[in-house]
Amino acid sequence: MEWTDILRFFRGPFFAVSLIIFVGGMAYRMFRIILLGWPRDRVESRGSKAVGIVRTYLKGVVLFPFIPWVKRTFGKNSLTYIAGGLFHLSLVLVIFFATPHMLVWKSLLGFGWPTLPTPVVDWLAAIGIISLLVLLVNRLTHPVLKLITKSPVWLNWTLVFLPFLTGYFMSHHLLFRYEVLFSLHMITVDVLLIWIPLGRISHFLFYFFSRTIHGAQAGKRAVAP
Amino acid sequence: MAEKTIYQQLKEEGFSRRDFMKFCGLLSGMMGLEFAAPVKALGALAGPNPARMVAEALVSKPRLPLIWLELQDCAGCTEAISRSQSPSLVNLVLNKIAMDYQETLMAAAGFQAEQAKLDTMKKYQGKYVLVVEGSPTIGDNGVYCTIGGRSNLDLLREAAEGAAAIIATGNCASFGGIPKAQPNPTGARGVWEVITDRPIVNIPGCPAIPEVTTGTIAHFLVMGQLPKTDNLHRPLTFYGHTIHDHCLRRPFYEAGKFADAFRGEGAREGHCLYKLGCKGPTTYNACSSLKWEQGLSFPVQSGHPCLGCSEPSFWDGGGFYQGQSAPLDRPSAAAIGTAAGVGAALGIAMAGANSLKKRKAGKTTAPPDQGSTE
Amino acid sequence: MKTQSAINTYVKEIGGWAASQLEACTRCGLCADACHFYQATGNPEYAPVWKTELFRRAYEQRFTIAGRLKLAVGLDRRVTDEDLKHWSTIVYEACTLCNKCAMVCPMGIQLGPLIHEVRSGMAAAGVVPGDLMSATMKQKEVGSPLGVTDKNWAERMEWIGDEWEVKIPVDVQGADTLVGFTSIELMKFPDSIAAIAKIMNKAGEKWTTSYKGREVVNFGFFEADEELTKLFLSRVFEAAKELGVKRIMISECGHAYDAFRWTAANIMDVPRGVAITHIAQVMHDFWKSGRIQLKKGAYDDAIVTFHDSCKIQRRGGIIKEPREILKWLAPRSFKEMTPNKEQSLCCGGGGGVISIQEADPLRFAVFGMKVDQMKEIGAKSVCMVCSNCRLQFTEGVAHFNSDVKVRGLSEMVSQALE
Repeated sequence: MEWTDILRFFRGPFFAVSLIIFVGGMAYRMFRIILLGWPRDRVESRGSKAVGIVRTYLKGVVLFPFIPWVKRTFGKNSLTYIAGGLFHLSLVLVIFFATPHMLVWKSLLGFGWPTLPTPVVDWLAAIGIISLLVLLVNRLTHPVLKLITKSPVWLNWTLVFLPFLTGYFMSHHLLFRYEVLFSLHMITVDVLLIWIPLGRISHFLFYFFSRTIHGAQAGKRAVAP
Repeated sequence: MAEKTIYQQLKEEGFSRRDFMKFCGLLSGMMGLEFAAPVKALGALAGPNPARMVAEALVSKPRLPLIWLELQDCAGCTEAISRSQSPSLVNLVLNKIAMDYQETLMAAAGFQAEQAKLDTMKKYQGKYVLVVEGSPTIGDNGVYCTIGGRSNLDLLREAAEGAAAIIATGNCASFGGIPKAQPNPTGARGVWEVITDRPIVNIPGCPAIPEVTTGTIAHFLVMGQLPKTDNLHRPLTFYGHTIHDHCLRRPFYEAGKFADAFRGEGAREGHCLYKLGCKGPTTYNACSSLKWEQGLSFPVQSGHPCLGCSEPSFWDGGGFYQGQSAPLDRPSAAAIGTAAGVGAALGIAMAGANSLKKRKAGKTTAPPDQGSTE
Repeated sequence: MKTQSAINTYVKEIGGWAASQLEACTRCGLCADACHFYQATGNPEYAPVWKTELFRRAYEQRFTIAGRLKLAVGLDRRVTDEDLKHWSTIVYEACTLCNKCAMVCPMGIQLGPLIHEVRSGMAAAGVVPGDLMSATMKQKEVGSPLGVTDKNWAERMEWIGDEWEVKIPVDVQGADTLVGFTSIELMKFPDSIAAIAKIMNKAGEKWTTSYKGREVVNFGFFEADEELTKLFLSRVFEAAKELGVKRIMISECGHAYDAFRWTAANIMDVPRGVAITHIAQVMHDFWKSGRIQLKKGAYDDAIVTFHDSCKIQRRGGIIKEPREILKWLAPRSFKEMTPNKEQSLCCGGGGGVISIQEADPLRFAVFGMKVDQMKEIGAKSVCMVCSNCRLQFTEGVAHFNSDVKVRGLSEMVSQALE
């Protein structure tokens, strides 16, 4: 078994399997919850639920990421806000706008798009890695986080951190031969894909449920969400 | 009667001493000897002068018998060597140093040629070098490639038995090459997967760089052993770095300037060909350093992405123009749809079971109602 | 078996609404920073996400494969009687259901309502702090959590009418508005009742109170016992139906407004065509439409600030009405605390906390933050439209030896009537 064979396997059949498990798993989670019953709301609204929903999404996407100190609690926990925000920024930009990743999407979707310059992506990845480390230390030391964090959450961190690290090593040709790093990157990515439907990383799906509910209840009461 | 040494033969043909030393220098360079471990190991013996080492070998050693077998091949590796524009360097190696049987190049043909080959093998039993071009095929006992009515497997095993060393030149002989592409109907393999009891070196490439093949032959001649190899049996001197490592377009890669199409500004400016499917980063070969046609150019320099032709299964490497990062196996839209459907169905089933549970819980306490404080 | 009834309740209640939010939590812990109980004490168990822990366990262990697997390999624990007892303290004494946590959660999870669900399981299991339970029982048996009987009520109302010289109609058939008062106002802030009566009369409103529907406070709601919640609501609804009113007006009370306006229709049949309003809305409406006139600058003598009550402002949206009135009454002296409006800090007395003696140290610890807020702007008086907050403030400023005057807005408005 050579590293070239390992690479072929994790870029090839195992990737396809991971992707299928990912899609199937997320579908399972979503339908299992959607169909658990949503009681009809018979309370008369004071304002518009739709307006509340739009406002809360705008706030979450346009306002808070850029001026997070607007939230009064920012001062009490700036580390989580900043590191968490930077990590998500890095994640989204690297996954969609790094050239090698865009080529993956292109092969899956049939079309590509313009990408960010490599040095910029490089910095973003580094920021992502540092943010993750900061968040880890935070989770290990903050009293509330220590209390509420169970083992699956540690796994979440690890399985997200490893693709970042291996990807960074790969693009810088650090430590090992390229096909070794590429293999490690693919292994960690495949494992992550399989794990996502099983844990809290799937919050990116449920975000749309909780945010919409939040916006709707604020809109109903004609309060700022 | 002692065999004439190579030097003696060359002298007879009119090589001056100066020509000879130049030849040795070129040869040692071609072999990448400065960097070879044996040279370093020899230390004082070789001194700082590998050319001298070559000279001493050629002066003292006789011609190396060489048998060049072609199995399931396109003869491209032979073509590359024979059409090489070198100052007959390659020519010199192959004509002056070796070559007793070469199907494509030799004038003889038919059973007599086969007999000549067998005679050579017998005469130089245990001493000749066997160069193999083209893949052995194991499908249906090797019936898909026969020469003179005999299967390629037979011929290969027969030739390998008395060989001092085997050099598999080209991707076909090294790893199975083009015939091995899915679904591999003939059962093509690399030579080293069929012959396991002889020292073997792979010179993959499609074709192999002529200088690399001949350099390796020369190495065996001079050093008496095959060069040091990586875990795919490729000589480290030539296959120790990737195309990416020495690529002239590397600064563009680092800066993130990529050509988006074969025509267009990026291509004109000589930008990196990663987006056009260049497999440089995972391809080990000497193309970007040694280059082709005596350092004239190589695919990337000429504007075409590297195909990865010195790597196993490069034909199944995801497509020549698909980005190197893209997955090799993509689930089809149908597969994804099925996965989503199955997941959804299971989720619905689970939700159903959970709803039943809810109803049951409701019956054991107050009557169920649809209240929820929003 | 207590645990079983709690779990049963959770299982019964968990629908897509609760499940999707339980799944959305990423364990980021930012909700803790919004919770005044955590901020005041630093006890990590007061983090809102931790308050929902038993609910999460019930959900995961009954409804998901992952939850069952975690249980099987020992990565999670079942809910036990000890757990119920422990968490009962946390969710009843260290939470006012102010829902500030929901505003801070990056996922927007409605933690307040989820904690209400947690309470419902405890109520079903009967694991509720003693003081709260006995108050609830009193309301069930006698009609008021403070034990005010029919007779008490009638006598007291008569006394208020006499003392403040204001007419307070009872059980007037065909009136437009049924006004519901609270036991707290009756016993602790009778001036508020008189004030509201005065305002209604001055505005020429056809209004009434009612024997049957004399209590809008809902301790069933605090406990999160749905049957009792409905029972207490229905007493007022029945009265409204019998008297044929067009609307019910809640006096200065927060959770009563929440229960009537935002909850009732989803848990029971409510009388058709009967609107639910709050005194803050109504008196603002009277003033804006000219039915009452107010003396401008009547309270410009000292800095006055407004306390936003969680259930009326953050959860009810009645934010600009009190402010417009106050800006008229104290144009130069009205100052906002920080934070305010829907972001305001809870007083610490809501959600039933004030009725639990055991929780006194906690609610005063939290109130310290309100004292700081008022000090920051140099407020000399503070007003609000919730009598539960008013009681907490009254007891709180005494506890901290603060000289800030605590008033109800209705009382201020009635004094400034022209």
